[in-house]
Amino acid sequence: MSDGATPLPKPSSSVKLVLLGEAAVGKAPNMTQSSLVMRFVNNDFQDNKEPTIGAAFLTQKCTLPTRTIKFEIWDTAGQERFASLAPMYYRNAQAALVVYDITKPASLIKAQHWVAELQRQASPGIVIALVGNKLDLVASAGSDGEEVEGEDARGVPAAQARSYAEEEGLLFFETSAKTGERVAEVFTAIAGAIPETQLKGPRGGQRVEERRVE
Amino acid sequence: MESLHNTEWDVLIAGTGLPQSLLALALSRSGKRVLHVDKNDYYGGPQAVLSTQEAEAWVMNTNAGTSLFSDAALSIPTPNPSHGSPKLSFPRAYSLALAPQLIYTQSGLLSYLLSSKVYRQLEFLAMGSWWIYSPQALNLEAPSGSPPSPGQLIRIPATREDVAFSDTGIDLRSKRAVMKVLRFVMDYENQAEVWQPYSSKPLSDLLTHCLKLPSSLHSLFLALTLTLDKPQRTTTSYALPRIARHLRSMGRLGAGFSAVIPKWGGMSELTQVACRAGAVGGGVYVLGKGITTLSTEAESTSVLLGNHDTIRTKWIVGAPDDLGPCTGCPVSSSVAAEITSRSIAIVSSSLESLFPTTFEGSPKPAGAVVVFPVGSLGQSQHLQDNPVYLLVHSSDTGECPVGQSIIYGFCCGESQGLLESAIATLLTAVNEPSTPHILWSLQFKQHHPTDSNQATSQNFAEATQVLSFPPPSSDLVFDDSILDSVKSVWERITESDADRGDFLVFGERGALGEEYDEA
Ligand SMILES: Nc1nc2c(ncn2[C@@H]2O[C@H](COP(=O)(O)OP(=O)(O)O)[C@@H](O)[C@H]2O)c(=O)[nH]1
Repeated sequence: MSDGATPLPKPSSSVKLVLLGEAAVGKAPNMTQSSLVMRFVNNDFQDNKEPTIGAAFLTQKCTLPTRTIKFEIWDTAGQERFASLAPMYYRNAQAALVVYDITKPASLIKAQHWVAELQRQASPGIVIALVGNKLDLVASAGSDGEEVEGEDARGVPAAQARSYAEEEGLLFFETSAKTGERVAEVFTAIAGAIPETQLKGPRGGQRVEERRVE
Repeated sequence: MESLHNTEWDVLIAGTGLPQSLLALALSRSGKRVLHVDKNDYYGGPQAVLSTQEAEAWVMNTNAGTSLFSDAALSIPTPNPSHGSPKLSFPRAYSLALAPQLIYTQSGLLSYLLSSKVYRQLEFLAMGSWWIYSPQALNLEAPSGSPPSPGQLIRIPATREDVAFSDTGIDLRSKRAVMKVLRFVMDYENQAEVWQPYSSKPLSDLLTHCLKLPSSLHSLFLALTLTLDKPQRTTTSYALPRIARHLRSMGRLGAGFSAVIPKWGGMSELTQVACRAGAVGGGVYVLGKGITTLSTEAESTSVLLGNHDTIRTKWIVGAPDDLGPCTGCPVSSSVAAEITSRSIAIVSSSLESLFPTTFEGSPKPAGAVVVFPVGSLGQSQHLQDNPVYLLVHSSDTGECPVGQSIIYGFCCGESQGLLESAIATLLTAVNEPSTPHILWSLQFKQHHPTDSNQATSQNFAEATQVLSFPPPSSDLVFDDSILDSVKSVWERITESDADRGDFLVFGERGALGEEYDEA
């Protein structure tokens, strides 16, 4: 994963992954260290590397036993705020991370809206993961995210979100970007769920970058 | 929904057409507070992309308002019962481009897309062959009184090798004459003494008198100018650089093509990618909200967006269409507007024969140009005194499902009838096993003022400057002058920034995680 020695050649493919979810649920790469993407991208790097605002997308490799997947992680750059997300955002996306905050029921409603939007606008084969974030705020959560009896900040029962996810055919996880709990698993699961047939090398087509413009 | 009040914006960009979007890209790392709005609820304005369903709404809006476009009409023929032929697919299977312009490989736009690093989010496809329709064979040797042969499509050779070795339906003697013109145009700057005397005369005069090209072959070169004008109005000084642009672009980015088109619906994709860069840079994007009024009180100007949001800004930039309330002059009233008749047709065939790969190793073309020179559609009841251009896009563009294709038609003036007969003629001339037919089509008119090409500016009170881009031209080619007007606006807005850098030249973002390490 480092840029040191050349790794053994393993089939490697780029996968465009788009991020969706209500503001402040903890998804975006450009604001805080405590976000899912920062966790995923930085975990095995220096922990306090300054986040850079303004990259078009972040990339991170995910190595599975049989193949390496290179995620191109796109965030909405705020364009969703005034319903101004462009069709190109969904274009060719092979995976989507739809995030809500398990302490805020309204954020699940919003997540469901994004799932519907993805089903309408994205390619039919897209792998969607529904992720309830901020698991650390929920007192004494079981290791598999099952809630235990008692009073805590949880606003969305895991069972409710899980059954919705099952109905829609989504992957489902509860995570904490803060502690890092289960973050890597989300990405590994997405990587594993992308059908082999959907994988190609770096995206195809006649691309200007492959040529030199003097 | 959040509110836009209480922010002092540096720049309000109105409209997400191509110049505005490129400006947003140019300002994306300037640190300026940019609010970018569009009165439409989609990106691209006059360069937008439409599904067949969105096209229905577009037709209604176009006919209800005054804009660059008018007289829009849909026609959906009753499905042909012949079995096995493709049917119209679901609405979102189509991305129909209002601006299917082609981009010559020597265009400054491609260099800017590279230097601004947004090219990674775009895919470009090669334009392939240029075809010319001839009602008779183009043979010089054919006796003049012989009976007219059926019309045919002739592929225009654009390199000397192509002329020499390809079977384009041009006989040997004509080939030599064509070769001579190609050599001349490639080097026209150094031969000013030859063409200067013809500078403001029609190109045909130069071709006839100096280059001894038989008049039956003039249309080959006129077609390469991609001008909608009549041949009599196509002057030598206008035409030579345009033909040279075509010839010199050939092979620049790869064998066998001189121009590219963006995938997924023409210039629309570019506007979306540029706007995204604006958003990544911190710009705020609002669709479905345009400038309603501008009011000036004391020293300061406030802008009402939609019905509720009043904002203040130092600069307002847009196209005339979006700035109406600021400049007080709607587009339609601006001097003599010329009209281009346009059409978009979904065809029930891939029209495979129009997209041959003509050079070994060249990418598969996704687009073709078909030109109907003046008079070539003579049999129809409409008198044809302007050339008709059809841009044909294959399904590789992502604009239609596999097995279908899109034809974009252009002709000067009130020429819907000519567009229809050109398309009908093409569908017969392609010689497909079963005659392709039209599944869906849209006709409309585009207006473009003939006057200024310059960005204009106006002062409002002390505090606000309004800058206007010129309205889009009806050119079939991306017009590099757009880059000049965007640059001049960018220069004015960033005038006092010592570290503004070069126009649309950005360094690599220190990317997190892996670097972009594509070889
Ligand atoms: N306790 C806790 N806070 C989190 C977690 N993830 C994000 N946050 C915080 O939630 C806030 C919003 O996060 P941000 O990444 O900006 O959310 P975004 O708007 O979805 O991108 C920040 O203050 C984060 O520090 C988490 O897993 N646990």
